[in-house]
Amino acid sequence: MRVAIIGYSQTKFEYDVEMTREEMVFKTAKDAIESAGLTREDIGTVISASTDFLDGRTISNCMLIGATGAYLKDETKAEEDGMYAVLYACQRILAGIHDVALVVAHTHSWIFNPHQVSVYMLDPLFDRQNDLLNDITLAALQAKAYMKRSNATEDDLALVSVKNLKNASNNPYALRKMPDATIEDVLNSKIYADPIRELMVAPPCDGAAAVVVASEDFAKKYCENPVWIEGIGNSCDAYLRDRDLSRLVSLEIASRKAYDMAGISDPYREIDVFEVTERFSHQELMIHEGLGICGDGRGANFIRMGITEFYGDCPVNPSGGALSGDAICATGLVRLIEVAKQIVGEAENQIDGVQRGLAHAQWGLCAQKNLVFILGGDYEA
Amino acid sequence: MSEVIRYQGIPFVARFRLSAGELMERFYQSLKAKKLTALKCNCGYTVFPPRIRCPKCYARLTEENLVELSGKGQILSFTKVYFKLDGKGNFVDLDEPQVLASIKLDQSDSIFFAKVCGEPKDGAKVEVVWREETKGEFSDILCFKVVE
Repeated sequence: MRVAIIGYSQTKFEYDVEMTREEMVFKTAKDAIESAGLTREDIGTVISASTDFLDGRTISNCMLIGATGAYLKDETKAEEDGMYAVLYACQRILAGIHDVALVVAHTHSWIFNPHQVSVYMLDPLFDRQNDLLNDITLAALQAKAYMKRSNATEDDLALVSVKNLKNASNNPYALRKMPDATIEDVLNSKIYADPIRELMVAPPCDGAAAVVVASEDFAKKYCENPVWIEGIGNSCDAYLRDRDLSRLVSLEIASRKAYDMAGISDPYREIDVFEVTERFSHQELMIHEGLGICGDGRGANFIRMGITEFYGDCPVNPSGGALSGDAICATGLVRLIEVAKQIVGEAENQIDGVQRGLAHAQWGLCAQKNLVFILGGDYEA
Repeated sequence: MSEVIRYQGIPFVARFRLSAGELMERFYQSLKAKKLTALKCNCGYTVFPPRIRCPKCYARLTEENLVELSGKGQILSFTKVYFKLDGKGNFVDLDEPQVLASIKLDQSDSIFFAKVCGEPKDGAKVEVVWREETKGEFSDILCFKVVE
């Protein structure tokens, strides 16, 4: 049995949005259900994705039961990116318990600085007591470690921002758009911790996204244009102190699992578009290596040679990626939606002839956890 | 759409107590004596600061695995940090950038993160600098200074 994406929606990513969390979640959930041609009654299980620390309240989903339409239904929450909630939805459907699942992910960053919240992910008995440690400074150490291992330079990191912020200028949902961005603009933006500048950091913002997934039987019966989930791989690395920060080993494992499940042996040739969660510019280069689409230590060659431009051989983040707006829990889920849009031909930076795409989400400091989805169009495999 | 009315200062405050556990307790006590302790697992992996399970082979570690480190180590990578978060969500510019490094201590296999004083470079040797009067707290470690 397979699982298909049969509906999706997202809000425009903004900062200081003129919409309450309840309004935003309600609108996204309703739009996704309507895009699938369904009503609330058709939904068997609802999985939301948010984090209590970012929401400023605990068991935050309990306040949103009305907005997600989950009242008196099977309901749960993932304290992670919404793409993880899709993984859990697939498991529920494949277990034969439900036919249709709604996944809703949301974050309002304006309510409290998410970078401050990152500090609470640190080991409280040791690392949290070092007042210089947070997601940005740790990303700087990761970038330095990666640059030492590979041939990547600060210009390469800046080039990732230039590409994604240019791509974002065509994306009506993106927050940060810079059609004329240059390497100098990025390198001259405010420095946080070298080599990380402001334009190399995914800007936290407010947004929500939702998808409807369904069993193969249901999708074939009720959906004209299903997007099939062909492969999934998930892996979590050790805590920061027991990892090689210069590599995304858990992404190497996750992507291989997803490729195996989808029957892919050469991802560079067999996948037409990649949407990845690069919370910091250097991570996009590390993700190339983790996905095995380039050789070890050669992540930067791809950006220099234009291979990952939306007109290149191996387009990465034609939507603008996380660097164009990071509504934390919704960011990975939006990558999944963007790949689905590429497959059905609805994307803004539409790539010709996309049959298969890859979506990636990460969670944790320095991308400790990685999740990969392979999506395909409605053709007989 | 109606305008959203924003409320400021809604608290979300909890002052937590956490159990350090026996081995982390020993680690804090050793700080008071100006010593850095780690745990050496029978599999060969040495973890600093201590954990009750080996991060590589998951064997239970006990006080029999405690080892004392020299306090010397090597910089793996470093960054100049220009800001701090003030605990309330505000970015605060530092008057002078501070150096933060990932460090591997001699005899240890895990890495950790610490402030560095002196001119840093990749691979530089560093040594722990203690506060004059130690209390058995994290802040007993002032920084790691570059020695060569």
